[in-house]
Amino acid sequence: MKRQNARTLALIMSILTYLVVGAAVFETLESKQEKSHKRKLDARKYELMRKYNLTKENFEELEHVVLQLNPHKAGLQWKFAGSFYFAITVITTIGYGHAAPSTDSGKVFCMFYALLGIPLTLVMFQSLGERINTFVRYLLHQAKKCLGMRHTEVSMANMVTVGFFSCMSTLCVGAVAFSHSEGWSFLNAFYYCFITLTTIGFGDYVALQKNEALQNDPQYVAFCFVYILTGLTVIGAFLNLVVLRFLTMNTEDERRDAKEKALLSVSKPRGEVAHLLPVSISASSTPVADNTTKAKDFKGVYTEVLQFQTICSCLWYRSEEKEQDSIPNMIPQEMTFSDAYLQQNNDCAHYMEPGSTGCVCSPRQCTSISPISGLHIFSPFRMFKRRSSV
Amino acid sequence: MKKQNVRTLSLILCMFSYLLVGAAVFDALESESESSRRRILEQKRNEMKKKYRFSEDDYREIERVVLQAEPHRAGRQWKFAGSFYFAITVITTIGYGHAAPGTDAGKIFCMFYAVLGIPLTLVMFQSLGERMNTFVRYLLHKLKQCLGFRRTEVSMENMVLVGFLSCIGTLCVGAAAFSHFEGWTFFHSYYYCFITLTTIGFGDFVALQKKEDLQEKTPYVAFSFMYILVGLTVIGAFLNLVVLRFLTMNTEDERRDAQERPNHTICLSHTLEYEVF
Repeated sequence: MKRQNARTLALIMSILTYLVVGAAVFETLESKQEKSHKRKLDARKYELMRKYNLTKENFEELEHVVLQLNPHKAGLQWKFAGSFYFAITVITTIGYGHAAPSTDSGKVFCMFYALLGIPLTLVMFQSLGERINTFVRYLLHQAKKCLGMRHTEVSMANMVTVGFFSCMSTLCVGAVAFSHSEGWSFLNAFYYCFITLTTIGFGDYVALQKNEALQNDPQYVAFCFVYILTGLTVIGAFLNLVVLRFLTMNTEDERRDAKEKALLSVSKPRGEVAHLLPVSISASSTPVADNTTKAKDFKGVYTEVLQFQTICSCLWYRSEEKEQDSIPNMIPQEMTFSDAYLQQNNDCAHYMEPGSTGCVCSPRQCTSISPISGLHIFSPFRMFKRRSSV
Repeated sequence: MKKQNVRTLSLILCMFSYLLVGAAVFDALESESESSRRRILEQKRNEMKKKYRFSEDDYREIERVVLQAEPHRAGRQWKFAGSFYFAITVITTIGYGHAAPGTDAGKIFCMFYAVLGIPLTLVMFQSLGERMNTFVRYLLHKLKQCLGFRRTEVSMENMVLVGFLSCIGTLCVGAAAFSHFEGWTFFHSYYYCFITLTTIGFGDFVALQKKEDLQEKTPYVAFSFMYILVGLTVIGAFLNLVVLRFLTMNTEDERRDAQERPNHTICLSHTLEYEVF
């Protein structure tokens, strides 16, 4: 079975298993307490009903009023500060629900607002997160140099450690601040920060709902907004570092497959280079000498282009001359770079030999690295065009 | 200034303006209605307090009892079906809050559960979404061939159109189903599906909360879970098609910059020069 299909099936099975396991554990942890809590509440309810001689309908009416009035207890939710808070919960998809549009036009606007806002926010957080990661990488590099370490390159492990600690401290700072301002226990405040910054946003704990804080305490309001947005940035940076590469795994594999298929099919009108093709497929060998001799036999930039293409499966591009042809349109006209090629820091001995092959990496290294870390970068908005040097 | 920095700064500014505009509009749409509703409810409350002669303490007690009893009104939330529903809302980050862990152990487990579950779910939906896009691309290609088109390649516009229509279709199917089962209006159902599938999950509308549905109406429960997961896949596929490429823009630019630095261009300039436009 194709690798992507196997991977997808495995992921589906994992999620379903994860859900079943989670459900079982939650049931064990919460079900008993739920039962006893309900019993206690019912008992209290009947006591109160008896004390004040309330009928079932009376109590239901009372219930209705209390429930509806509850969000209002926290103050005006829709004045500018409250609306800003609400807008944040929409576009970051936190969605506490402490306030939700009650008018139909509010609901309609909310949907359109989310439609544009959510992708914008996703892109913004990833963009900013990447900038932060780059800056942190730079700082760590400088720190390593200052400390006089031998290897001053910043490894992935370094970055992940720093990222993880940033996340934990962000949560702790928030927990301390909110437990102080909202009067929650440290655990509940930590839980609140966690649920907020993962954008789950249950709404069981919501900041800015005490003492009309939204209207009366602008500094605290500002702190909350800043905390949520920077916290999401820190989490976003960590996700950008660790998770984003996995989101493009299937797409990369598809492109790799398409590339291999294309190389196999470019054999008809280009007879003279047909025998070069197997070279790239059997990526295990590095027939450097063979190809340089063949290069000498052929004239013209075009054949150098193909030589490049066949020697180095890392680099793939289309030249103008090849426009017409058998390469299916499914292959994007983009450049793919193997991760290893561009990393300045690792075990990239293979990129040190540009002189001999004219290629930045040996085919074996390229194809062996790509399945492992494989972040092939695509630039859909720029096309590398070969300018002939001949 | 470097392109990535310019891009990031403009995105930040865009987002802030977007928030400001949104806040202003929501204020305009909801504020008045909120004030008048609040006035009416407070009046009603005062009437009831006078009618039944509640003491302050007792009234507060009633409030507490009513608020805490609310999740229980919808039936057992933490039996297996309810817990499964809850687990879905955690790892998909929908987070209605219709049920939230009450015990400390539940809260702690919830956090660990989310730490592993959320990335796993993100990767799964993108993976499955990509598979679906590939399959749709294949179907469209075959369709174009059958219909005898001259150019049978599937363009990005084709894919975006199909993706968009699938999303709308999914929302409408859900709206029809939930308006039937939950007794909501079509519009409210549509709003519920939208808020759910974008993972915002306010919790103002939540399925499976009518009396004991979770325990009794098993086919409907299964349908709801399937709907949420399949719907998220369809949205995920659309995001994979349209948005994912933008999430890696800065990273790509960094790598391109790294590549353009002198010691890396030795071999590239060996035979060819590149132009980027």
